[in-house]
Amino acid sequence: MADALVIRNLNKSFGGLRAVQDVSFSIPEGETVALIGPNGAGKTTTFSLITGYHRADTGSVMAFGRELVGLEPQDVCAHGLARTFQVARPFGKMTVLANVMTGAFLRDKKHDVAKRKAREVIDFVGLSAHEHAPARDLTTIDQRRLELARALATQPRILLLDEVMAGLNPSETDQAVALIIRLKQRGLTVVVIEHVMRAIMALARHIVVLDHGQKIAEGNPNDVMTNPEVIRAYLGSNYVHAEASGAGQC
Amino acid sequence: MSGKFSRKTLWLSVLFALMLLLPQFVTSRFYMDIVIRVLLFSFIGVAWNLMGGYAKQLSLGHAAYFGLGAYTSTMLQINYGISPWIGMIAGGGVAMLASLPIGALCFRLRGPYFTISTIAMAQVLMLLFLKFRDFAWGAEGTTIPNLGDAPWMMQFEEKAAYFYIALALLVVGLVVTWAVERSWMGYYLVALGEDEDAAQAIGVNVPKMKRHIYLISTFLTALAGTFYIQYIYFIDPPTAFSFNISVEAALVSIVGGIGTLWGPVVGTVLLEVTSTLLQSWLGGGHGGVQLTVYSLILMAVILWRPAGLLGLITDVYHRIFGNKQQSEQEAALDG
Repeated sequence: MADALVIRNLNKSFGGLRAVQDVSFSIPEGETVALIGPNGAGKTTTFSLITGYHRADTGSVMAFGRELVGLEPQDVCAHGLARTFQVARPFGKMTVLANVMTGAFLRDKKHDVAKRKAREVIDFVGLSAHEHAPARDLTTIDQRRLELARALATQPRILLLDEVMAGLNPSETDQAVALIIRLKQRGLTVVVIEHVMRAIMALARHIVVLDHGQKIAEGNPNDVMTNPEVIRAYLGSNYVHAEASGAGQC
Repeated sequence: MSGKFSRKTLWLSVLFALMLLLPQFVTSRFYMDIVIRVLLFSFIGVAWNLMGGYAKQLSLGHAAYFGLGAYTSTMLQINYGISPWIGMIAGGGVAMLASLPIGALCFRLRGPYFTISTIAMAQVLMLLFLKFRDFAWGAEGTTIPNLGDAPWMMQFEEKAAYFYIALALLVVGLVVTWAVERSWMGYYLVALGEDEDAAQAIGVNVPKMKRHIYLISTFLTALAGTFYIQYIYFIDPPTAFSFNISVEAALVSIVGGIGTLWGPVVGTVLLEVTSTLLQSWLGGGHGGVQLTVYSLILMAVILWRPAGLLGLITDVYHRIFGNKQQSEQEAALDG
């Protein structure tokens, strides 16, 4: 299948800090890919570069054959890429319905159409019972659901999820995974930044690992998890030696 | 839903009919003057609220557009004999044009920095009108030639006529707000007011939305400027670009209920009536007493009802009429 997203030699520095260095990877349409790495590896920065919140110093981001570097976030969204934020950012004083309608207005400015579409998505993420609750009153997981619904209301073709599982308990994580699998079944291309291993294993057949702004590994979950570079990035070099000598097991 | 709607329509019709008949009952020029000021400042508040309330862009420089509207119509009238009715619309156009470069500069800033920059812009405009004497009478200002009863020049013997103009302006402002609130624009404005980055993530063109609502807001504010100068027959820079106008516009909205349709009206009724009555009761005795009491009332409102008095009124209404449903949400806040 054709590639939905092609990232080539992406670079971004903040002052002296090279946050993203020469990162390249591509994502086939309809695939779910996980972007992982230790804290500060440049995962969220990569998301921000893709979605127009930061402008790449050099490099290119192509989505369905269109260059995204240089576009504003709203234009990236109009091209079919929707993102969520690491910390959910609902419009607190609006109700759940109004929040999601705001997303739906991107594709159709008619009130009734937006409302109908918003209700569909709210139902899909399982928030129907809270439709008229102000967003600020929702629990953490429900705020994440809301953020997902709001992003889905813009009818994206590529969904970028920034740590949607963080802080969820195991059963909530399973619910979230099930939701993402259903999105995948609908043909959506999904990129997740994630730390929760059981979620990554359940979702992604392809993993990209960043460390200190560089891509250090890429491949299927088993290959990546046994890659010495990856283990070193997460656990330090001592652990690699230990494992090599057969003393340490995961 | 339709029952609630029709009851609301009924109340609005009754209120509107009462307003139309008001000049029949209020014959005192003093009280008529208070009513006209209440209507005018409600309108200015409504215009400000579109941007300051819904989109949370707290401007304290709307006097700039009030003044531009006032000066445009006055200059057209005195220099070219053009009716202030036409001048009013021209003033609105000038304000809209001016809002583009001013907005381009101020919207680069967020939060308190934005607010400060709007204050500065209004002050700069006032200074320009003060210094350039040949352009528009400088610091002396000018009186509007009194033509007696001349409706086509927006001059009337009876205060009732001014009352109806002010009422019409307020109705226009409320209808515009109502329409914005119900459309996608209202949702986009509230969204960007809540979180600009999150709004952009779902496709809201934040700079464009700010520019558009600023155009509407400044146009309406300029209309108020023309009306006010025609009403008091005098213009000079400190009057037309008065910082008080900017503050009042924000204050009535905040006290009444920021980002709500009726908030600025409720706020103006409370603040304007209180301040005028306090002035007439306490103003004669000890200087400043009325201002002290006024400030205390203001503090009390901000402390106890930071979301504005409108919420208090709707709560009381629902208690009286036994309406158990949650108080009605504005459209842009709830689908």
